[in-house]
Amino acid sequence: MTRTLSFHARLSWILAAFLLVVIGALYFSVRLVTEAAVSRQAAERLDSGLRVFERLIDIRSRQLRDGVQVLVADFGFKEAVATGDTLTLQSAMANQAARINASEAMLIGLDGRVLASSLSNAVPGDTFRYAAELRDARGQGPTLLIVVLDQQAHLLVEAEVRAPLPIARVVMGFAMDEALAQELKELTGLDVSFLAKAEGNSEQLATTLKSEAHTELIDGWSRHEHANGIEELTLDCERYLNEDVVLSQGDGYSVIALAHSSLDDALAGFHQLDMRILLITLVGLIASLLGALMLARSLSGPVNALAQAAQRVGRGDYHTPIELDRDDELGSLAKALNQMQRGIAEREQLIAHNMLHDDVTGLPNRSLAAELLSRAVEAGRITAVLHIGIGNLDAVQDSGGSEGVDQALRELTQRLQAGLQPGDHLARMLSDEFLLIVSDTSADNAFSAAVAVQQALALPVRVAELEMRIEAHIGVAGYPDDAGSVDELLRRARIAMQDAAQMPDGLQLYQHGRDDAHQRQISLIRDLRHAANGGGLHLHFQPKVDLEHGRVYQAEALLRWNHPIYGLVSPGEFIPLAERTGSIQLLTAWVIEAVLRQLHIWNGRGLYMEVSLNISAEDLSSLTLEQRVTELLQRYVIPGDQLVFEITESAMMRDPERALTMLHRLRALGIRLSVDDFGTGFSSLAQLRRMPVQELKIDQSFIRELDDTCGDAVIVRSTIDMSHALGLKVVAEGVEHGETRDLLRAWGCDTLQGYFFSRPLPADAFEAWLKQQPHLAARPLKEPS
Amino acid sequence: MFNRVVWSSCFLLLCALTKSAQAQPFSAFVFDAQGRPVEGAVLSLAGQAQGKPVAVAVMDQIDKQFSPAVLAVATGTAVSFPNGDDIRHQVYSFSPAKRFELRLYEGTPSEPVIFDRPGLVVLGCNIHDWMLGYVYITDDPWFAVSDEQGRIQLDVPAGQYPSTLWHPALVDMPPIQAGRLEVGAAPIELKLPIAIAAALQPSAPPPTPFADAFRKAAHDAHP
Repeated sequence: MTRTLSFHARLSWILAAFLLVVIGALYFSVRLVTEAAVSRQAAERLDSGLRVFERLIDIRSRQLRDGVQVLVADFGFKEAVATGDTLTLQSAMANQAARINASEAMLIGLDGRVLASSLSNAVPGDTFRYAAELRDARGQGPTLLIVVLDQQAHLLVEAEVRAPLPIARVVMGFAMDEALAQELKELTGLDVSFLAKAEGNSEQLATTLKSEAHTELIDGWSRHEHANGIEELTLDCERYLNEDVVLSQGDGYSVIALAHSSLDDALAGFHQLDMRILLITLVGLIASLLGALMLARSLSGPVNALAQAAQRVGRGDYHTPIELDRDDELGSLAKALNQMQRGIAEREQLIAHNMLHDDVTGLPNRSLAAELLSRAVEAGRITAVLHIGIGNLDAVQDSGGSEGVDQALRELTQRLQAGLQPGDHLARMLSDEFLLIVSDTSADNAFSAAVAVQQALALPVRVAELEMRIEAHIGVAGYPDDAGSVDELLRRARIAMQDAAQMPDGLQLYQHGRDDAHQRQISLIRDLRHAANGGGLHLHFQPKVDLEHGRVYQAEALLRWNHPIYGLVSPGEFIPLAERTGSIQLLTAWVIEAVLRQLHIWNGRGLYMEVSLNISAEDLSSLTLEQRVTELLQRYVIPGDQLVFEITESAMMRDPERALTMLHRLRALGIRLSVDDFGTGFSSLAQLRRMPVQELKIDQSFIRELDDTCGDAVIVRSTIDMSHALGLKVVAEGVEHGETRDLLRAWGCDTLQGYFFSRPLPADAFEAWLKQQPHLAARPLKEPS
Repeated sequence: MFNRVVWSSCFLLLCALTKSAQAQPFSAFVFDAQGRPVEGAVLSLAGQAQGKPVAVAVMDQIDKQFSPAVLAVATGTAVSFPNGDDIRHQVYSFSPAKRFELRLYEGTPSEPVIFDRPGLVVLGCNIHDWMLGYVYITDDPWFAVSDEQGRIQLDVPAGQYPSTLWHPALVDMPPIQAGRLEVGAAPIELKLPIAIAAALQPSAPPPTPFADAFRKAAHDAHP
């Protein structure tokens, strides 16, 4: 859930929560402090209230005492006391009591007996209840006593009547009743209670508190410990701090004053503060939420704009700048994004250019050329393309290195571009191939342009202090005459170029059908790889006739391929393809095994044959050839000397050292080695002498049209002589006429092969042929030599 | 009862007076319970005395104090209350033995006060509350008040006399019957059963600034 919250919602929540915590802490700490302050204040009020209270009691008692003093100092009063004039006494005391606000007045004798009294329970003649306490209190300053009279606390003062020695005492007092409590409350602002406890009576309360609180106060007060501390009581649903002072405590009575400070009243003032803080909290919370929302929105708006801009850039729109007029971090981010956008645009342009252009010459590459052509094709415009191949770039590479090649290519490019007509395009297809697109021109008409191009390229190029002549061959094809599509056009122009390489002038217009031959080649190349396993390969055997004995015990195994589509394919076509594409080893391996299998069959039937087969240069360079042959010889139980490997001169000379090693190994297996197609290469007999060869096969081009007088006859004859001189047997192939046979026999050639004797035949046909030629019958299996 | 004692004492005093020719000085010393000499103690000896009692005694007021503090007189003695101070006094007594009041006066009032009943009269001044004086009225022929050393001197013929001892500290109590005293050459030691702690007379309260101001003003007016 939280994951789906937007950034500004989260920011708002965090801010609000933070603020809530802060304000809450503030609120509660203020509450705590105010509560504490209020309690302290209430306690202080209690203290000061009690001081005021004590002071007031003191003042009242002083007033009372002064009043009593005035009374007892009066001579007439003294006289009345001395004479026992009770009526006078009573009136005088009542008068003075009224004057000084005393509620009680009493005259007691020195022995403590009541002489006159305003109290109902102190009858003259009785001993005053508190006479002892009064006597004890005397002598410690003013005589002041708080007692319980009539179940009510009274403050009493006493003064002696002296004449001049004490003769009696006047006691006056006032009740500590609700009126006094009320007066104290007006002075101190505190509720005041007097609690009077007397033996045999319940506690009596005089208080300013409401009557509902009386019982609670008495109960609460009696429950608590009173170590002169301040305690909290709940009276009539109001909280009070209470402090009590024991005013007097005597034998069987005690008077306690209590001051009550209402906490609720004191807190009432702070409730307003609480409400304000609460209000401020709410307002602050809402304001901060709004602020956070605005802040978040002011942040998320530009962020969204930036995100949209980034998406635009992602879609490839680099040209809409981000409009964000701010000086803060977001502004600089927008600037950076804008810069990035420009940088990406530039680099993409560069990449696009590099993708469609050649980096050496700066010319459009193959892709762009195809694109240009497809535009023309789509528009249906007549277009000719000149496919230009540089024939001897390898030679340039050898002389000037890669740098030289690049230099040459750039110079050639300049020359080509110099001859460009408006609307023409020059492109570089491969490292040594260029394409010139000539607009609105047929292939025939473009031929003149090809000539011009060739002339331009024919001028020597200067590479690393060397002047080199560039061999260029140009194929020309045109749309729509030669091709219906761009691919076809390009392919056919290239085929024309390859054909041009064979032309003396290096120029060739595309010939109709050339592309089909090309397609056939491609399928042959493709299918060759699977021919060995696919069952399309067959061996034909062509007999080799031993002139010395006039017998046939040798044959050449020749590969035949029956293609599923094209039918029989001549070795002259597919062998070069196999050699070019690396499939030749597969073919050779197949041939070796097939030959050995056939020999195994023949040997089984008592037909002794020595079969020669062709080994290519690739086979020779393979390190596993010898091993494979050894295995096969063992598997089919064939002695090595029934095999002859025919190897062309060029194959031997390509890597002479390596070939020599392999030839020696093969020779060690008993296999005889024959130099095939001798005379077509440039090898000398001296070179051949180093090779462990036993036979030399003169190429059929020398034999086919051989007659006594032609130049070939000299070559053939001297070759035979020299070979014999070197101890080599000589085979002549391509013998088609009896005259040729006779000549070769006369010259001492050892073995002949050709259509004159037989064309290459399948194994069974070969066997049948052998049976029809009894004079040429194969020699026996084991011929002693 | 008291009257009978008084009367018998008078008789004894008269007897003593009749034998005044043989009278000789006699000393007694009064100590309190702690052995300290007691001033202001009154010793009276009953008997038949010759001669007339002193007709007039004097209770002066000096320095806002009664002087002497304790005055012992025979019943019927007229006591004059001269005022030795330059301020007025108003001497009164509410004692049952003699109730009187001398209104504010200066110098000597016109009439002395006759104490015609034996007993104790406590004197006060209505103006100066602290002033306290005692008049001990007795029917006995011989009586005297102890001085600061606690010594009492009497001229009494030798013999044995019933004696009575009183002191202001015993104000609430009747006089102590001290038994028969053998009056001879040797001084007698008498002992009060209580310890006397307070002074005989309360001293005047210390002058208040108020009183000082008054005195200064008066002095300035009459240098």
